[in-house]
Order: sequence, then structure tokens, then C-alpha cells
Amino acid sequence: MDKGFAIQFAGSFAAVALLVALAAWAKIAKPMSPLSEARARALFADEFPGKALDGLWVTNDGRGALARSGASALVLCEVGDGYAARHIPWAQAVAASFRDGVLKLDLADVSAPRARLAFDSWPPAGVA
Amino acid sequence: MDPLHAPFDPVALAVPFFVLTIILEIALTRFKAVKSHYETKDTMASLGMGLGSNVAGLLTGGAAFAVTVWVWNHRAFDIPMTAIWAWVALFFLEDLTYYWFHRLSHERRFWWAAHVNHHSSQHYNLSTALRQTWTGVLAGTWALWLPLAFLGFPPAMLAIQKGISLVYQFWIHTEAIKRMPRWFEAVFNTPSHHRVHHARNPRYLDSNYAGILIIWDRMFGTFQPELDEEAPRYGIVENLTSFNLLRVAFHEWAGIAKDLAGSRSLREVIGYLFGPPGWSPDGSRDTSATLKAQWDAQQAAKKTDLAA
Repeated sequence: MDKGFAIQFAGSFAAVALLVALAAWAKIAKPMSPLSEARARALFADEFPGKALDGLWVTNDGRGALARSGASALVLCEVGDGYAARHIPWAQAVAASFRDGVLKLDLADVSAPRARLAFDSWPPAGVA
Repeated sequence: MDPLHAPFDPVALAVPFFVLTIILEIALTRFKAVKSHYETKDTMASLGMGLGSNVAGLLTGGAAFAVTVWVWNHRAFDIPMTAIWAWVALFFLEDLTYYWFHRLSHERRFWWAAHVNHHSSQHYNLSTALRQTWTGVLAGTWALWLPLAFLGFPPAMLAIQKGISLVYQFWIHTEAIKRMPRWFEAVFNTPSHHRVHHARNPRYLDSNYAGILIIWDRMFGTFQPELDEEAPRYGIVENLTSFNLLRVAFHEWAGIAKDLAGSRSLREVIGYLFGPPGWSPDGSRDTSATLKAQWDAQQAAKKTDLAA
């Protein structure tokens, strides 16, 4: 690595640190409030257009939701000031580990390996 | 002018401009003068990818440049770097090449794997512009520029024009500019056109591949205007759940490797590598085409309901 590149890289690194600090100071992320059922429905409609929801459960902390659509479980979880969604087989969601109020879902996806959703109980009575 | 050594690097020269305009966008947003959003971890990921792409380019770019020089040494014509007509011709030819590079990078998974990181932010601001690939050289798309070297455009000229294109594309990554004048929107790639390109709404997928000139999208049928009734939702069809740079840079490559490991035929290998992103043997995953079809069906059903 030549000296010129090292200087340029160090300068760029310092600029990145400055800009990240500025973004943190500015507090201009999208406003996030705990999910309501209506908001969760709207997000699921965006993520899975045309899929009817047979049941919907919003997490205790409002940072995620899980819905049943036929044989699929639709999963929504907060990421930064946005959301990511995936679907897995419903049977897999029902059988997933639930301990200390946290449902741990294996999403089997390199870009979203797992989801952790906070519920009082799982699975909901009468839907397994 | 030395045909092998560019006298300046447009991208390096523009770095102070990048930094100052990001500061300006953050400040204007903070004081509510423009509409934009910056999330700290997302900003860190975008700028970290930009920083890392410099290192990746240093490590891998030499091979691509060496091949370009070799091809240019076997050129069909001698094109002088000092001729204005040569720069005008290169402006159009390089931009056309960029259009096809960009289209390929979206429509075939192997090349999407190198490009997806640029689209993985759920934000659209000037920092997103710097969320650059680490694996572009490995994906080999630089080979698309080799015909220009074979025609006789010197490697230094190609490097400068590619840099100009990259710098141009920086300023269009913003929500702060609503629309440019009508004549400008008709000819050039703009923030509005490129917002559509970064959107994950089904109707906006796989459109507006332009670098500098939007005319290529209009010519080749991939133009989609931004519609007031449908605000772009940014990111990728299946958003990441992490801001980890390694996951941002390599997740699609890892996904390909996982799929290839489970392949049962040559057809599946080819499909997973060179099919559209989301391709699967049984059609159980969504591609842009299936998402658009689902959306079209949903709109048709809504119209039918309204008519009834």
C-alpha cells in the first residue's frame, strides 16, 4: 500500500467518523413508534401483497409481528428505523423455541438468519 | 496525454464535495429545510461500504486494468485523447455500456450478488450513493467496457469517463430534490428517476437503469416515472436484518453458495447462478416478474371490485 493511498484512506476514515457522528447528533431517523395492529396489517400488505391474514399477533414491545396466512407464517421485525419481513412454514413457527417470553424463529436465510419476537405465550391458544 | 495514466481521478477530486454535501443534507434535514432521513447504523454501513470498496478496488482493480490495457494494445483504431469528438463519442458509448452493465447487475443473480449491497439500505440519501460494492471486479462486469478499449479508447480515457459517471450519480441519491426542470428530466437521470430505481414497490422494480442519460431506459423500455400516488419504499425485496458490513457485502454470494450446494442438476446450477434474482427450481421464491404479476393481479381485482 503506497503512502498516498494510506493518507487518503485515513482521511476518508476520519470523514466517515465525522459524518456518522453528525447523523447521530441530528436525530433524523424515521420516527418509530410501537406497532399497532393496523400498522402491522399495512406493513404486511406492503410486504406480501395479496396475501390474506388469518391471524395477526403484534409483539409485546411493538417491534415485530407475526401473521398466519394459510400454511405460511409471515414474520415482521424491526431493523433500525425500518422493517424486514420473511415467510416460513406455519408449522415451523408453531414448533419454534419459546422461552422467557421470546419466540426464536429460524428464518433459514443468510440475509436474515433469525427473528426474535416477544410474546406473552406461544403458540396462541387454539391456532396451533 | 499518457493513454495509460489518467491525469486526474474525478472520484478522488469529488470526495470533498461528497463530504460537504452529506453534511449539508444532514444539516438541512435537521433544521427541517428538506425532507430526508439518516439512521446512524445505516449511515455507518453505507459509508463503511464506500470506504471498503476503495480497499477492494485497490486489491482487485489492477487485474481488470491490466486486461483493459492488453485489449487496448490490440485495438482496432487509434483514438486520440485530445480530440473533442472522441470525448463526445465516449460519453455516449460509456453511458450506454453502463446502462447494460446496470441492467445485467439487476436481472441476473450472479451480477446482482455484487450490486445488491448498493440497494440494501432502506434509506435514500447521499450516504446511500457511497454504499458501493466490494466484489464488482470479481463479478467481472468490467469486461463489458473492453469493447471500448478494443475500439481504441485509451484506458486513461475510460477511467476518467467512468469516474465522471460515478460522480454524476452521487447527487441523484437524494429525496431533497423533488423534480428537475422538465427538459432535464426528459434527458438526464435525476433524483426522481433514481428514487424509482431504488424502490422496492413491485411496480417500480427493474426500471431506470440509467447512469447519466435516462434516454437509454426510454429507448429500451425500462423507463418508469415516479408517481405522486405511490411513494417509493426503499431497500431490497427481502431486506437485511443486520447492518454488519460483511453480511451487507457478501450475503447474496453466501446465498448463491448455499443454493449451489443443494443443487441437484446442471439446470438448477445455471438457474441459481444466472437466473433472475429469486429464481428457484419450483418457483417457490419471488422474482421481480412474479412480484409484478402479483401486483398487477391485485390491481385488476381492485378495479373489478370497484366496477361491481
